[in-house]
Amino acid sequence: MSTLTVANLYAGYGDVDIVTDLSLRVEPLEIVTIAGTNGSGKSTLVKGLMGLLKRIRGRVDFEGTSLLGVPGERRIHMGIAYVPQVNNVFASLTVLENLQVVEGVSDRRRRMAEMLDRFPALQERRSTKAGALSGGERQQLAFARALMASPRLMILDEPTAALSPALVHEVLRLITALRGMGVAVLLVEQRARQALAISDRGYILDSGRVVIEDRADRLLADERMADLYLGEH
Amino acid sequence: MGSAYLINLAFNGVILGLIVALAALSITLVFGIARFPNAATGDVATVGAFAGLAVTATGGGTAAILGFGVLTAAGLSLLFYLILFRGLADKPPVASLIASIGLAFFVRAVLTFFVGHNQQVYPLPIVRAVPFGPLRVQPTDLQVIAVAVLALAAVFALLHLTAIGRRMRAVADNPDLARASGIAATRVLVVMWLCAGALAGVSGTLLGIKTVVSPEMGWDLLMPAFAATILGTIGNPVGAVLGGLLIGLAQELSTPIVGFTYKIGVGFLVLLLMLLVRPQGLFAGNALVR
Ligand SMILES: Nc1ncnc2c1ncn2[C@@H]1O[C@H](COP(=O)(O)OP(=O)(O)OP(=O)(O)O)[C@@H](O)[C@H]1O
Ligand SMILES: [Mg+2]
Repeated sequence: MSTLTVANLYAGYGDVDIVTDLSLRVEPLEIVTIAGTNGSGKSTLVKGLMGLLKRIRGRVDFEGTSLLGVPGERRIHMGIAYVPQVNNVFASLTVLENLQVVEGVSDRRRRMAEMLDRFPALQERRSTKAGALSGGERQQLAFARALMASPRLMILDEPTAALSPALVHEVLRLITALRGMGVAVLLVEQRARQALAISDRGYILDSGRVVIEDRADRLLADERMADLYLGEH
Repeated sequence: MGSAYLINLAFNGVILGLIVALAALSITLVFGIARFPNAATGDVATVGAFAGLAVTATGGGTAAILGFGVLTAAGLSLLFYLILFRGLADKPPVASLIASIGLAFFVRAVLTFFVGHNQQVYPLPIVRAVPFGPLRVQPTDLQVIAVAVLALAAVFALLHLTAIGRRMRAVADNPDLARASGIAATRVLVVMWLCAGALAGVSGTLLGIKTVVSPEMGWDLLMPAFAATILGTIGNPVGAVLGGLLIGLAQELSTPIVGFTYKIGVGFLVLLLMLLVRPQGLFAGNALVR
């Protein structure tokens, strides 16, 4: 059974659809990239999947269960975690509170210890407000927070945007490691060359539609869309 | 005008400031989480004060006034959420603001219909003021201070030491991320409205104990409370409390200059100046609930 199946999805704001007739899927333990230019509807798609939009119709199934009509706050209990494009941590809460506040965690004590173990930088900053963290620490916290409830699907909206090259590398390494934790990944990136390099498959979005979908290696090799959608080398 | 006079004014300013701070904290909680300035805060406080008055008819003392006043205000606040503000949550904030203004007028009209315009006082035993150096302290003043400080401390403890408080701060900080983290907004909102109503109730009953009970008392409290909220950066609980104290002190200490009648205008003046000079408030960037 697919982890995520999206079929004929329409989503938007007010009375406007941004995403139109979109279909995609994510198989267990797959890393799937969604690429697309500025404003092509990537974040709108992701917010729709997370139950944060009112205007949405079509089919969204997670492990065979329909998600449409399920309130956004149920997602984490079902096994879906989300790291938004901006404000991906609670800036006014401490590092520890960011982890404590996540619902649907079975053995909280042990899980917190595991997260602080996996992200040692957070251990030293546990009582620091997340808003005062460095870019790298903040990204680690965003991952740790998302991992708290042991999800089976993680949706990441441009996790490498506005990071230094060294940090981009670090984040991509983290994403690759998710597979080992039993997590499939839906990864949104605007300049997707590096994202596709660690992905199994990819979708290219333009004006709210999927214009190309293929294996990641083939997308990377395709000269035509390289310049248009994937950004410079 | 001796320093003893000023010291007594300042002491009164602190008491008034604490009462304003309670209302301001209520406003800032609602703003931080439900995201609109609730103009009905003052009239919920009034209802709390009158509930306290009602309980004195059955022989209740200060504790009964406070207890019943706070419970009634908290209940009323929750009721308003359930029947009005919950339905408006998806609309732009101005819809809730306008609704709260309408609600404020409605509550006052209903109260006036039943109790009239008269000012009333709680039938509490009159106790002689005790001199502390130049300061003349009413024992009830000390009670008012103690209750206000306890109520403020209780809310901060709730916000920072409990799981529901942590959730409230998370929703205030980032509603979408809170949702994705599994926090059901409804539960948080119910607790928040109870809390905001209880704060208004404490504010109203203490104002009643300190001064008089009248249908207009809450509306008169609203301007200084809004001023305190803005002064302390709207949405910032610590700021609301400090803003309340500043407004209370400014209002009382200005009495010798502007006279008794116009000191109410000081809150308005501070609000205007603040909005013109530093609209983000004194404590922007240091927000607890954003
Ligand atoms: N809250 C909103 N209300 C109305 N329209 C919106 C809203 N958010 C985004 N849009 C519009 O939806 C379109 C797609 O925006 P979206 O954020 O989904 O793009 P994106 O692919 O994520 O872009 P980026 O790479 O810049 O993050 C844009 O035209 C944008 O103006
Ligand atoms: Mg985006």
